[in-house]
Amino acid sequence: MNQQIIYFPKDGKPTVVANEWQIWDGEHDEGGIPDLEHGFHKVLVPFHWWITHHKNPDVLDRVSKGEIGIWFAADDDILKHEDLIETGKTLWPVIGAHFPIFRDGRSFSTAALLRDRFEWQGEVRAIGDVLIDQLLQGARVGFDAFELRPDQNLNVALKQFDLFSVTTQNSWRVQRSTQEVN
Amino acid sequence: MYKYDHIDQTLVDQRVIQFRDQVERRLNGTLAEEEFRPLRLQNGLYHQRHAYMLRVAIPYGLLSAKQLRTLAFIADKYDRGYGHFTTRQNIQFNWVELEQTPDILAELAKVEMHAIQTSGNCIRNITSDAFAGVAADEYVDPRPVCELLRQWSTLHPEFAHLPRKFKFAINGAKEDRTVLLCHDVGIELKKNPNINNGELTANIYAGGGMGRTPIFGSLIKQDLPWQVLPSYLTALLRVYNRFGRRDNLYKARIKILVKALGPEEFARQVEGEWVQLHNEEIQSKDNFTQAEWGRVAKHFTKPAYQKLTVVSNEAILATTPEAERAAFARWLERNVKPHQVPGYASVILSLKPHGKVAPGDATSAQMNAIADLADQYSFGELRVTHEQNLVLADVEQSKLQELWQAAKQQHVAIPNIGLLTDIIACPGGDFCSLANAKSLPIAKAIQERFDDLDYLFDLGDISLNISGCINSCGHHHVGNIGVLGVDKDGEEWYQITLGGDQGNDASIGKVIGPSFYANEIPDVMTSIINTFVQHRAADEPFIDAYRRLGVAPFKEAAYKNNGKHSKESGKGAIV
Ligand code: HEM
Ligand code: SF4
Repeated sequence: MNQQIIYFPKDGKPTVVANEWQIWDGEHDEGGIPDLEHGFHKVLVPFHWWITHHKNPDVLDRVSKGEIGIWFAADDDILKHEDLIETGKTLWPVIGAHFPIFRDGRSFSTAALLRDRFEWQGEVRAIGDVLIDQLLQGARVGFDAFELRPDQNLNVALKQFDLFSVTTQNSWRVQRSTQEVN
Repeated sequence: MYKYDHIDQTLVDQRVIQFRDQVERRLNGTLAEEEFRPLRLQNGLYHQRHAYMLRVAIPYGLLSAKQLRTLAFIADKYDRGYGHFTTRQNIQFNWVELEQTPDILAELAKVEMHAIQTSGNCIRNITSDAFAGVAADEYVDPRPVCELLRQWSTLHPEFAHLPRKFKFAINGAKEDRTVLLCHDVGIELKKNPNINNGELTANIYAGGGMGRTPIFGSLIKQDLPWQVLPSYLTALLRVYNRFGRRDNLYKARIKILVKALGPEEFARQVEGEWVQLHNEEIQSKDNFTQAEWGRVAKHFTKPAYQKLTVVSNEAILATTPEAERAAFARWLERNVKPHQVPGYASVILSLKPHGKVAPGDATSAQMNAIADLADQYSFGELRVTHEQNLVLADVEQSKLQELWQAAKQQHVAIPNIGLLTDIIACPGGDFCSLANAKSLPIAKAIQERFDDLDYLFDLGDISLNISGCINSCGHHHVGNIGVLGVDKDGEEWYQITLGGDQGNDASIGKVIGPSFYANEIPDVMTSIINTFVQHRAADEPFIDAYRRLGVAPFKEAAYKNNGKHSKESGKGAIV
C-alpha cells in the first residue's frame, strides 16, 4: 500500500496526506476481519464481503467506530444493491472504487453513480492501478481521494489538477465553462 | 464555420501543455510505453510500421482554407510533404517524430485544430455529411448539433477509458451520406411540426460497426429532443462503459453488447439510467440550453450568397470551348452536386487520380493550391468526405468552368466521383502495423486496369472499398465490391465481397468464396464487371443488378480463371 494519498476535497485544494486506510482483498475469509497490517485499524473491505458479513456483530462494532469502509470492484453492479448502499451511507466513512488496470474506466462510472444517483457525500477513493494521468478524470467524476500506485511521483501528480482552467461538460466539481459566456 | 471562443481555445492550448508534459515523461523514462500508449492514442498518435502517425481531427469534416494551409505546412515541416484524408474525416501524417508532436499540436492549436480523441478507447471525432448545410436534400443542418456534441465529448472524464473506441455519426439529410448505421451511435436529426413543437429531434441508432463482425445499428430511441442529447448519451455510454466486454478485444465494441442483450433490453437499460439522470436536479443542467444553441448555431448561418439564377448545364457547357466540352461535361455530371441555393453548386475535388497516389492523399502543394481555390470560389471553406475526397461546397455555377481549369492544374479534377475508381482504401500494409495485406497497390492496379473514362461512365455508380485487414478501415463491408486483405500462412491474400452498399439502402456485402492473390485481383474485377455489363438492364446500376441477379453469375465469372496463377507467379507480383 501507499503510505500517502492525495486528498482533494470538492471545494478545497489537492494535498498529500497520510493514508489511514488499508485495503483488504477479502481473501482468506475466516468469518471476521483478519488482523491486518500492524498499527492499522481502518480497513476497506470488498463490497461482496460486506454483502455476506454486514450483520456480524463484530463487523457492526467496528463500523460504529468508523473503522470499516467498503470498496467496489470494477465489475460490481452497484445499482443492484441500492438498499445496502443507502444504509451504508450512514455507516461507511469511505468508499473505494478499484482500478484493476489504469485503462479500465468502469470505476469512473461507479464514482459518477455514487455522486449523482446515491448522492453519496463522503469520501470516494480511487484505489488499485491509479496513475498520474487518471487523476484529472477521476477528480471530475467524483473521486476526492487517490491512493496512487506506489511508484508514482506525488509531486508530478499534484500538478495535474489545475492543468485545465476550462471544461466543456458538467462534472461533479464544476459546471461546464460554456455557460459563462452566454 | 465554427469559430473557437476563448474556452475552446484555452482548452486546446492547455491540452498541448498537458501532452508536452506526457511526452517529456515518456522520453525521460518516468512514463512506461505501455502506460503512455493510451495517452498518446487519445491524442491521435499511433506507432505504425515505420514511424509514428498523427491523426488530426477535422470535426464533421469542415475545414477552412487557413487550416488547410497549416496542414500543408505541417506536412512540409514535420512529415514528408503529404497527408492522408481518411474515411472518418480526419487527416493522417505518417512520418512524424514523437519529440515533435507537441510542436505540431501547438501549430494546430493556432488554427483552432487538435488531435484530441482521434484514436483510443474514447469518443472519437464526430463525423457527419460532407454536404451539411448545402445539400439539396437536407432537412436539418446537423452542424450545430455536431459542434455541441464535439464540445460535450471533448475530454469527457467519465468516458476516457471505454472498453473500445466509440464513433458517432450524425445525419440530417434524406440521403444518408454518413454510413449512419455502421457507427456505435448514429444520430438522425429530424424536424417534424407534430413532434417537440417542430423543434429538432433525434432518432438514436446504437450498436453498429464494421470490423470482424459487421452489424447495423438498431433504433433504440425515437424523437429525442435535441436539448437532452447530453443526458441521454451519458446514460447510453454509462451502460456501455459498465457492461461492455473488457475480457476480449474483439468483443468489446458496443455492437456486441447490444447484440448480446438485444436492442430492446439495451434500450431499456439506457432508458432506466436516463430517467434517473433526467429527473435529477443536478443532471438536468446537462441539457443543452437555447443560449448554447444560439452561440454555436450563429456560426453555421449561410454565407453571403449572391442572388443568382439557376444556370442549366447546357448553358454552362455552351461557354466552354468545343474541344474541351466533352471532358467538362463529364466533370459536371460526376463531380458537381446540386445546392440549396439557386445559382450555386458543390464541387467534389477527386483525390483519386488513376494509379498515381494512394486514395485520399494530398501533397502540401495541392493542399495550398486547394486552399486558394477555396478562398477564391467557396468562401474559404472546404469539407472532407467519407469517400476521402475534398469538397468546395459553395461554388457559383457561372464559375464552374474556371474552377475546373484550376482543379485540373492540381490533378484533382478527374471526373470519377462515385465510379469504380473512386476507391476507398485504408493505408494497409504499406503503413499500418495491423495489416494482413497491402491495399494501396491493389487500388492502384484496379485504377490502372479501368483507366478508360468512357467505360467507367458507362458502368455508372459502383463503389469499391478496400481494407488491409478485418478491422475494416476501408469499409469494404459496405462497398458494392469489397476487397479484404487476409493472411494465410504468412502470405497476403484478398477476399472479395459483393453487394455491400451505403446510403439509405445500406447493406453488408457477402463473401463470394476463396481468396485470391494480389495479381489476380485486376482480372477478377474485370470478370465481375463484365458479368455486370452482360446482364445489366439498360442503365441499371451495379448494386441493383447484383440484387436482382444474386451472387451466382459473379462468383462463377470470378473463379473461371482460377488456377491460372501459380503461387509463385501470383505472390506479391503487383506490390
Ligand atoms: C494506420 C493505422 C490504423 C490503425 C492501427 C487502425 C486500427 C483500427 C482497428 C483496430 C479497427 C477495428 C475496430 C473494430 O474492432 O471494429 C479499425 C477500424 C476502423 N478504422 Fe482504423 N486504423 C488505422 C487507420 C485507419 C484509417 C486510415 C482510417 C480511414 C481511412 C480508419 C478508419 C477506421 C474505420 C472507419 C474503421 C471501421 C470500424 C467500425 O466502424 O466499426 N482507420 N481501425
Ligand atoms: S483496415 Fe487494417 S490494415 Fe487497414 S488501416 Fe485499418 S487496421 Fe490497418
